[in-house]
Amino acid sequence: MQKFFSNRKLVIAIIILIISFGLMSVSVAIRDRKSTPPLVQQFGNDVAGAVDRVVALPVNGLQGATNSVSDLLNTYQENQKLKKQVDQLAQAKVNAQTATAENKQLRKELKLNNALTDYTAVTANVLTRTPSSWMNQLVISKGATAGVKKDMPVMSQSGLIGRVVEVNQTNSKVELISNTSSSADKFAIQITNSAGKTVNGIVTGFDKTNNLIEMGSVTSTVKIKKGDKVITSGLGGLTPKGLYVGTVAQVKQDDYGLASEVEIKPAADLTDLTVVTVAEQ
Amino acid sequence: MKSRLRIIFPIGLFLALFLDGSLSNVFAGSLFKYPYASVLHLVLMWVIFAVFLDDRDELPVVAWSAFAGLVFDWFYTGIFGVYLIALPLVVYLCRQIKPWLDLNFLTLLMVYIINLTIVEAFVYVWYLISKIVTSNLADFAVYTLGPTIAVNLAIFVILYYPVRQLYLKVN
Repeated sequence: MQKFFSNRKLVIAIIILIISFGLMSVSVAIRDRKSTPPLVQQFGNDVAGAVDRVVALPVNGLQGATNSVSDLLNTYQENQKLKKQVDQLAQAKVNAQTATAENKQLRKELKLNNALTDYTAVTANVLTRTPSSWMNQLVISKGATAGVKKDMPVMSQSGLIGRVVEVNQTNSKVELISNTSSSADKFAIQITNSAGKTVNGIVTGFDKTNNLIEMGSVTSTVKIKKGDKVITSGLGGLTPKGLYVGTVAQVKQDDYGLASEVEIKPAADLTDLTVVTVAEQ
Repeated sequence: MKSRLRIIFPIGLFLALFLDGSLSNVFAGSLFKYPYASVLHLVLMWVIFAVFLDDRDELPVVAWSAFAGLVFDWFYTGIFGVYLIALPLVVYLCRQIKPWLDLNFLTLLMVYIINLTIVEAFVYVWYLISKIVTSNLADFAVYTLGPTIAVNLAIFVILYYPVRQLYLKVN
């Protein structure tokens, strides 16, 4: 073992550790800036993304095929269920259309052109997921050329799943809402109870054991019940208002007993994502 | 004959690298079932196979693994210097212990378990220092390391004989 820890090797090992640590600190430090990633990094990501498509598309295709088969097996029962819903939906749709038209007209009269609820959507395929337990990240197939910008919210078909953290030309990275790292940006959300009263707050964490979103430090006296709907509030930043987040699962006192903490069941399944939508305000 | 392995190894390496991500996404429902997280390590497995099954040590495994680590950091995490160091470190350690080992399925399995632990622990400590991870050591061992080793061992058992046949054929 004497030879293993010879002076030269020790020095080399220390230098390598310092380089590694330096690289890591720099990338963590510049990660949250608006201008990042630098062009070189973008280029590398674009090249890797192009190669990744060759591997990812067949694998995703295979997933699509197996999903289709399992869908086919459930078709009959699903059809029965859906038939009942369709009638109600038609009515709801007409209602929504009238309301939207009326809303637009009223806004025009008030000269309110850009409301918080307006957004355009960019649809993207999910290329890959970071194989790591610490970073819940996806790489999606649209980037700056399609209009994706940093910090935009990302949704699946059923609800909010995360936000864009790194934009390259042809792909971008999405940090899932389940990421608990301290550097993760948190969403501004809003709970509306059955009486129409709202409570504002931000996502403060993610309860991994129960798969619930946490909204801490709530001091409002508005009564919140299980099942109340949670949407993004559109306050502070790029997130439009009205993106569906989930429903309230539980309200409890926080660790200090001063404020309450609301636990929210996310509407989207964060582990089954093939197509996502980036919302652009 | 040696040129064939020199082509097959990098292609397999990058196939493994991108399959890690794709399969993680496709099977996310079972691999990342909260609170458990099992991380696929096909790259590590491919590298260890290369170190131990290539009898003549003619592959530049350290350089290739450093490159694969760089691409991993670049494309998957955006945080440099973690896998970039972890993978070559493992290759170096494997090269050091290789002369002392009587190579067979079981010893390679043990080596693979140890290396999985080293890589996962290295990544955990590094992310812990840079405050990307907030979970504690017990959670790491139970919820990440355990499932990770279980899943990767299963893959190892399935792939050991095919890959060995490949190396025997090519060598």
